[in-house]
Amino acid sequence: MWPSDFDLDEPLTFDVVAATVGAKRTLVARLAKQGLIETVDSGTDEPLLPRRVVVHLRRMQRLRKDLGVNFAGAAVILDLVGRIEQLNRELAEMHRRLK
Amino acid sequence: MAKSKDYYEVLGVKRDASQDQIKQAYRKLARKFHPDLNPGDKAAEEQFKGLQEAYDVLSEPENRKLYDQYGENWRAVKAGAGAPPPGWEGAPRSRRGTGPRTAGVDFGDFDFSNFGTRGGGGFDIFEEMFGGAAGRGRGRRSGRGADVEAELELSLEEAHRGGRRTLQMEVAEACPTCGGTGLKDGKPCETCGGAGQVIRPKTIEVNIPSGVRDGSTIRLAGQGGTGSNGSEPGDLYLHIRLRPHPVFTVKGDDLEVELPITPWEAVLGAKVEAPTIDGKVELTVPAGASSGQRLRLRGQGLNKRKGGRGDEYVRLKIVVPKEVNAEERRLYEELSRISGFKPRS
Repeated sequence: MWPSDFDLDEPLTFDVVAATVGAKRTLVARLAKQGLIETVDSGTDEPLLPRRVVVHLRRMQRLRKDLGVNFAGAAVILDLVGRIEQLNRELAEMHRRLK
Repeated sequence: MAKSKDYYEVLGVKRDASQDQIKQAYRKLARKFHPDLNPGDKAAEEQFKGLQEAYDVLSEPENRKLYDQYGENWRAVKAGAGAPPPGWEGAPRSRRGTGPRTAGVDFGDFDFSNFGTRGGGGFDIFEEMFGGAAGRGRGRRSGRGADVEAELELSLEEAHRGGRRTLQMEVAEACPTCGGTGLKDGKPCETCGGAGQVIRPKTIEVNIPSGVRDGSTIRLAGQGGTGSNGSEPGDLYLHIRLRPHPVFTVKGDDLEVELPITPWEAVLGAKVEAPTIDGKVELTVPAGASSGQRLRLRGQGLNKRKGGRGDEYVRLKIVVPKEVNAEERRLYEELSRISGFKPRS
């Protein structure tokens, strides 16, 4: 049985996130400063990052690599995809209830 | 992607297409099929894998030249085996990354390990990502196994109660015969067919925590792709999808259910059975209840992630019999005659 983290709220430092995704720390910090990735207040000058940022950042990386969009564009795309997913779920639920 | 598919056909370009045309075709199709733009769409994911494989080969002039000359045997030729002997049918194409796959659960083998090998044109952010000369190739990853993302579909009950799930996976590992080179004694390795990788079955038990929701992500540390040269393995990220429930509608931590009641139960009030995620409970319908009225069953919703439970809302729906017998008809007519109720006045 493998223990599992749940919902990836665990706060990580910029260094850990950078090392996990293979990025430079400065880039992760810049993306956080620009509001392109989620941060968690740490009570210090430097915020922390919830672990789910690792997944988010990798998606941004893939979109950057595969589609040629920049990080700001990737963040918008992921936000819109999330909203579309939510709307699709609601639509499916409405269809189900109408049957 | 089908094994015999031609890379040019996959990208929809002619064999004499320029590198720009190949890139353009890839980008156009990638926008359509990219897994991050089509979450949960297995067909799109498969299409994208095929695209990626085709583009990986055709975007590198040297590889493209070998592919043009030797077809699907090009990898073995590149690895040093020379031209394939007559009758050798070629190898299954090597798989990208070391991501696991499952039979029952989709484990898309997104490969992050090659992240950074291709820039997107213009300013190359990957220089910044990996730093200077290390920006090309594997960068600072130092062989860490690929992280793998996959979707796991659960029933509402599983999400509520948690539990265990056994996942059957297939993991790509370096071929034990050729050590991952794809060659044995100067010929394409027979074990892996020259791919350098073999697919091994793997079973893991996953602890599904109580309180997961649609869109939750579970991380299994060290269960992603195997690392090279003793490096740590990657992680497995399972994105949870909840199957629609035939009875309940999920609204955050709360559940909603429609409960049919009779006209006389609505007028007189009644104690009726109502379904909950844990079984049936007795619900008091107040006298004078209306269709659409919501009654709250406190604490009968879904288990919350950090303890506690949501509520269940029972939406009443007054239903009338489609057919009535003679006695029922007489009583309804009598009711109609004596009742002073005027809902439209």
